[in-house]
Order: sequence, then C-alpha cells, then structure tokens
Amino acid sequence: MTETLPDLAKDSGNGAGTLTRAKRILPWLGSLQSYIGLILIVAIGIATKGDTFLDQTNLTNAIGAFASRGILAVGVTLVILTAGIDLSVGSLMGFASMASAMMLADHDMPVWQIVPLCMLIGAAFGLVNGIGTSVLKIQSFVMTLAMLSIARGLDRQMSDNQSVGTTVSGPDGKLTENAESFQSLGTPGHNVGVGILGPDGIYYPVLAFIGVCIVFHLILSRTTFGRHIYAVGGNPTAARLSGINVTLVVIAVFTLSGMLAGFAGPIDAAYSVSADPQAGNTYELDAIAAAVIGGASLAGGKGTIIGTFVGALILTLLDNVLGLNAVSDNWQLVIKGLIVVIAVVLQRPDLLRSIKNRLTPARKENVA
Amino acid sequence: MTAHPRTRKSLAAATAATAALALAAGCASKTEDSSDAGDKDKKVFTVGYSQANNAEPYRAQLNKQLEYFAKKYDNLKLLPIADAKQDNARQVSQVQNFIQQKVDVLIVSPNEPDPLTPAVEQACQSKIPVIILDRDVKTDCYSSFIGGDNYQIGKQAGEAAVKALPDGGSVGEIRGLLSTDPQKQRHKGFMDALKGHDDIKVVEQREGKWLQPEGTKIMQQWLARGTKIDLVYAHNDPMAIGAQSAAAGAGAKGKDIKFIGIDGLAIPDGGIRAVQQGKLIGTYLYPTGAEEAAKTASELAAGKKVEKKQTLDTVEITKDNAEDIYKQYDMSQKVD
Repeated sequence: MTETLPDLAKDSGNGAGTLTRAKRILPWLGSLQSYIGLILIVAIGIATKGDTFLDQTNLTNAIGAFASRGILAVGVTLVILTAGIDLSVGSLMGFASMASAMMLADHDMPVWQIVPLCMLIGAAFGLVNGIGTSVLKIQSFVMTLAMLSIARGLDRQMSDNQSVGTTVSGPDGKLTENAESFQSLGTPGHNVGVGILGPDGIYYPVLAFIGVCIVFHLILSRTTFGRHIYAVGGNPTAARLSGINVTLVVIAVFTLSGMLAGFAGPIDAAYSVSADPQAGNTYELDAIAAAVIGGASLAGGKGTIIGTFVGALILTLLDNVLGLNAVSDNWQLVIKGLIVVIAVVLQRPDLLRSIKNRLTPARKENVA
Repeated sequence: MTAHPRTRKSLAAATAATAALALAAGCASKTEDSSDAGDKDKKVFTVGYSQANNAEPYRAQLNKQLEYFAKKYDNLKLLPIADAKQDNARQVSQVQNFIQQKVDVLIVSPNEPDPLTPAVEQACQSKIPVIILDRDVKTDCYSSFIGGDNYQIGKQAGEAAVKALPDGGSVGEIRGLLSTDPQKQRHKGFMDALKGHDDIKVVEQREGKWLQPEGTKIMQQWLARGTKIDLVYAHNDPMAIGAQSAAAGAGAKGKDIKFIGIDGLAIPDGGIRAVQQGKLIGTYLYPTGAEEAAKTASELAAGKKVEKKQTLDTVEITKDNAEDIYKQYDMSQKVD
C-alpha cells in the first residue's frame, strides 16, 4: 500500500496543467487510500444522520456489537498471514460462550476465573488445529472445518441444546455477585472503569477489541515471532531454510487464534445476556471478511492488524448507518454486499498506480 | 475442564435418576413382565420422529416432552430422534430411513414444507401413518397435522399491546426471519389486532432473524435514531429479551418501554422466567404439540381414527400465571 507513495511523488514533477494537479493529489489520496472504504461509510453516516451517528453511545454500541467478531478477526488474520485459514473460530467462540455461561450459572465462578479458563479452552482447541495442520499435514481449511463441526457438537452436547442465561439470581431474587460482575463483560449499559477511564467508564467489548488489536499489532510489527509469521506466509521454504521453525509458528498462530476465540466467548455471552447453543454460527465468515477487506491476502504473507481493525469497522459501521436510516432489511443485504466490493476495489494498493499508468501515455500524446 | 461442570451435574442427576428408577422398578416390573410374556393384543408400536433441528431451544424442549409423553403410552416405543440439523436433504433421507425400517408411526417436523412433501408422500404410500408436527407440508397424504396457530398468537399479542397502551402509543416490531411462515403469521395477526386503533402506530420494523444479539443491536439503533417507542413486540422471546437488555442498558431513554415476546419456554433462560423477572410484560405459549403427538400416535397405532387437523391454543403468560405454567411444562425433573 505504502510503496505507491514514493513512486508517485518521483514522477509528479513531470507533465503540466490538470494532469499535474491530478498527479499531485494522487500521493495524498494514496496515504488515505487504505482507509477509503471506512472514510466513505463515515461520510455517508455523517451526511445522513450527523449527530445521531457520531453520538458516542451510538459508536460504542456499533463497535460493541461487532467486538467479539472483531477479536475473532484478529486471530484469523494471524492464521491468514501464514497462508492458512481458520474456519473454526465461530464454533470455538460459541463453545467458550456456553462454557462461560455454565461456569457462571452452574458453578457461580467469578469473572477473573472464567475469562482465563475460556482462553485456555480456546487455546487447547486451537492447539489441536495447529497440530493437525502442521504435523498431520491436513489442509487448514479441512482441519478447521472439521473443528467447526466438533466444537459445535460438543457445545450442543454440553448445553443439552438449551440456552443458558447469564443474569443468574440468588435465593433473594437479586443478581448474584458474580453474575453482577459478569455483566461488565458486555451486557449493554454496564461499563468498566467508571471514574478511572472517564466519568462513564468504557464499554468493555470495545476496550477488549482495541486492546487485542494493539497487542497483536505490536507482536506482528515489533517482535521476531511477528516477522516469522510474515516469513512463513510469504515463502515457507525460504523461511525454513533461514532457520525458522515453521511447524512451531503454524501451531502458535492456530493456538493464538483459538485463545482469542476463547477470550471472545464470555463477551458474546454477556452481550446476549445468554449463551445460545447456536451462538457464533457463521461468525467465522464475518471475521474472515474483516481481515480480507482490511487487505489481508488469503495467499499469505500480506496483511496487518490495523487493516483488519479497519475492515471490522467498515462492516459494523455500515450495518449501523443502514440501520439508523431504516433501510429495509432486504436492501440492506444488497447494499452491504455492494459497498464491501466497492470498498475493496477502492482500497486496492495498485489502483492508483494503474490510474497513473493510464495518465502517462495520455500526456505523451498531448506533447506530440 | 468444560465438560467437567455438566458432568458433575449430570452425575448428581444420574444418582437421583437411579434412585427414582429403583423405586419405579418395583411398580413397573409387572407390566414389563406381561409384555415380555408375549401378550398378543399388546403389541409395541415403533415411532420414528424426524426433527428439523435439535439445536433450537424450542425444539430441544419439544424432543424432551415427546420422549416424556411417549413413555406414558405402553404401546409406543419411540426410536432415537433423528436430527436434520436444518438440512432438507438430510431430513428427506432420515424420513426415508424410517420408511425402510418400517416404523409403525412416523412423526415429522418439516424443516421446510416443499422439500419434505415427496418424502411424506412416500411414507403415506408405504401405508405408514404420518403425523405432521408444527410445520406444514404441501400434501394431504398424512393422518394428522398438529400445530400452534401463529396468526392467533400474533393477534392476541396485538390485543395485549392495545391493552398495555390505553392512551395510544408507538410500537416497534422485531420480526423473525422474513422468509419463514411463523414470522408472516405472527406479523399479520398483530397488525390485524391493531386495526381500528389509530392511536397505536407501528413506527419501527426490523428483521431480527429470531436471534437474541440481533434484538439487542436493533433496539440500540432505534434508541439512537431517537424514535419514541412505548412497546416492543418481538416474534420470539430471545429477541424480546435481547431488546430489553439494550433498553435497560440505555438508562432513562429505555426505562418505560414494555416488551412482549412469544414462545414461553419453561427453561431457566426462557420467556416465562423473563416475565417473572419483569423483563417482559407478557409472552405467548407456542405449544410444542408433543403431548398431542404422543396421544395421536398411540391412537393411530391402535387403529383408531384421529382428527386430521389439530390446532393448538396458545396461553397468555403474565406474572399471574407464570409460575403455574412453568411447572406444567418444566421437563427438567421429568426426563434426564
């Protein structure tokens, strides 16, 4: 994305008139280009609904509704970077969501135990995905598709196909202490850090999503492990020859993806005030879509967490803008599909270069 | 670790069940003996049940009830329930399997009417009496249809809305998956009940796809839009509960909104409990029909004539009758 910038700047001195001007703004456009889809949607939001759209509560709600899927998208991005795919994240999140609700409802466990345990559970499933993919050499598509089915089946068996509520009342009819604190994981209207993080506190799903993005952005951009992930996805043979333990990297990314799904589970349960045996169904598609809209290549080696974050924002803010404008539900589906295609085309890193190339011969004709 | 909690719980349940069984064995042994002795008149008839999707709490409840009620009839033996997992092709082949096994009575809850119609006709041609449970098929070649009346439920919900808004007001409707028949009927009944009450207007309508998180999201968007809403009518309890949690979280803006749902499942996370907790002002029982299906199967097995169409009435569930209804339909103590 960024390499288009110097390229364009180098040539911008040539040519004259409108073309020069056009070419001068191209680099400026280039720096914004990877966010153009998001800018587009925010612009539509402000144009149609102004203050309602920009209202802090509205934005918090919109991001909060997508937070669990956004967290899944971060895990999926790691896997996609190694040229793999993780289709199991929706089911793993569903399992973790059910597990968290049952830990709360059946065992009255406190949040600080539930969340790490769910992360461990998710990581264990992810570890199996990683071992299946790298040691047993099962294609990740097949391995994680199988895991999607296995985890969903276990979820349904464990829950006996019944939803489990998270607003658990004690004998006095009031919420139990643990149920009360579980609400802070995402039940609407329950913020964390009131007084510490601003007067109203912050909605935990939003905080968790942004936190996960920052942590994994740093891991990918600042650590050896992060460089290894890109190397494995870019060229596994070269990575192996340069001494990278490819097997270990692959196992690690699947384990991390599973762990993040486990982390998202309790958030989803708290948001829905209930864990449903079907929870997280098809969330893997939203997660993959967020990563790919954000510029991740399914061929591996290309993609960033910032991109995935932007992709997730595009999906959820688009949904929000359409909802605020009361667009009919049938047309919402059509418009969502179209906007995603337009956003991805506009964000293509080679788009500006191809425009520039078209402009160049035109200039020669002018001179002649 | 996760399997652990439920295991421990089911262990306790198993212990209790064993104790109960030991008690029951004393009473039951006599009848078992007589049937084993080959009493010619008392043949046991096998019943196959093809369920559209086990993973919906409503259908999980239906399965439990059917297992419970089938046991009450000595002449019925319910085979393991076949779960089509929302897949028409899978359900067709499961129905055909039951035909192959020559079950004596076949019960089908079709995932969708059209794809299941030929399979039901096949069963009918093989002279197997068929009970259609809950959703319709496009043929007359069955013995009995048992189902709730979604139009009537929608209408009663509409009448309740009128009663809850004596001075008129604005209504938000969260609809089920738009393509499904129950959604259409629940919508139509509700709108018909509002006819003639010009002071009550449906100001917002969205498709919540039967899902709880969708209900939450839609309610938040309505509140953000600044629409004044006095009452929310959701086509099922999960969407109503989801919307209620959004309104409760929005503070003063959502404080006075009333919520009406449908389903009234007798499970801890279901609509009846939500009514008792004051989250919903009411919900409407969508009867599973399991009790009637078991009775009809037993009559068919005995060669009796049965009614071709059995429409089940709903029950309005409010704070006053919630506990009684819960006890009546609670299966947790009756089957394991």
